[in-house]
Amino acid sequence: MAALFRKKQQAFDGQGLVLFARTRDAMIAEKALKRAGIATRLVAPPISKREGCDLAVEFNSVERLAVQRELQKSHIEYLDIDLIQDDAPQPLDLVRTTRMHDFVMVKAANMKITFDARTTEITNVSGGGCPDVPYLYSMLVGKRLADAPRPNDIGHTLCALMLDVAYMHCLNAAEEV
Amino acid sequence: MLLICGTVPAADVKPIMGPAVLDKDELVVRDRRIPCGQGTAAMLSAACVTTTYLGVEQPYALIAGDTGDGRGSRQLYKYLIDNVAQIAPDVLCLHYLLPIVTMMKTLHSALDKCPTRPLLLADAGSMYAVKAAGLAPEFDVFTPDPSELGFLADPKATHPAYIAEYLFASSCDDAQSCIESAYENNNAAKVLVVKGRKDYIARDGRIEAVVDEPNVPAMEAIGGTGDAITGLVAAFLHAELEPVEAGILATRANRTAGLYADAGFGTSIPRIIGEFERVFSEHLCAWSGVCTL
Repeated sequence: MAALFRKKQQAFDGQGLVLFARTRDAMIAEKALKRAGIATRLVAPPISKREGCDLAVEFNSVERLAVQRELQKSHIEYLDIDLIQDDAPQPLDLVRTTRMHDFVMVKAANMKITFDARTTEITNVSGGGCPDVPYLYSMLVGKRLADAPRPNDIGHTLCALMLDVAYMHCLNAAEEV
Repeated sequence: MLLICGTVPAADVKPIMGPAVLDKDELVVRDRRIPCGQGTAAMLSAACVTTTYLGVEQPYALIAGDTGDGRGSRQLYKYLIDNVAQIAPDVLCLHYLLPIVTMMKTLHSALDKCPTRPLLLADAGSMYAVKAAGLAPEFDVFTPDPSELGFLADPKATHPAYIAEYLFASSCDDAQSCIESAYENNNAAKVLVVKGRKDYIARDGRIEAVVDEPNVPAMEAIGGTGDAITGLVAAFLHAELEPVEAGILATRANRTAGLYADAGFGTSIPRIIGEFERVFSEHLCAWSGVCTL
């Protein structure tokens, strides 16, 4: 069985792009991200996306949060994180808050958090299909909002990014209740 | 064989495959015990209860730990690519996996080596990868929620968090229009089971059924209810029900279980899954004609 899982070169999916002012930063970033286990490659950014240097780092757009966190952790300066495709929709910043009896449900893009307004305990996390969603569910549900980890700190994907938006709105909503 | 493949929220679970058994609120696969929380564990649990009731072979699980960095997902893609022809499942369900388009394409090619083409169902991250790979029409069933339907309807979207604002604002309330768009752009499976305030079952661009009773509003907030529906659909397909019929029964059963569980905003998914047996014993015969066990 073990031989079946022997490590080989990772398959690569792109669509996400980190833009840099300096070529050197792009090269350092590519190494740092690879060290963190994130599949990347150096590419020339499309002309319409060129802001700084002619070298960018491409990554799987789903892993935007992990890329962002790793760059910050490694103190690597970048200009922007974007999608390669010119007319691709951007991450949604629309949030809906619904009050239902003693519970508040906040939906950000495809992710939802529900908490008990009396205790601020997170009672449910729903939506999303990335592999960190069940993990985030297990880390958040049952905890009070203030005691729960921020999805941005422990998640990796766009689902986690959107869950973090919902979480921050929950904190505000809890103060208003 | 019904094979359900997806990740579970633990970093230390190496890929394992075996019959899935539900033991109270825990799922047991070989020697691993996995809490029946939201995600693939909820899907497997729902499938276990259903196959047990129907008296058909229990589902097989192919799981690996993944907390979001994609390592477990890659191991699962790789395992399936290398072994799916030998495993030869009748129904293959792909669930929580990091969307990796290149690996999904390779897996799809590997399916050609199966002695008989399995029925293919995708949900969650796997469904995102199938759409991005341009393989949606090759799949038999997708089970999206309304956000994911918007993602399927938007030909430019690469993830449900990236859909056009107008689709998000409407939450695909006009399901017909979103479903048509998904089919027109070749981004839908043959059958769609859309899980929302109203559930829609569509085939080839046409809505075949709308299930909206009983209405339990809190179900929207409960993590894992969509996964449970997907598990029900998978089990009904395994029992050789036709996909539209499987979608209708699954959505009805899930709603009725929510009612029986008196589901509120603090209810967790095992409580709802725990009501499936009662739902089946009281209603399945009348709903479907599946009366003998």
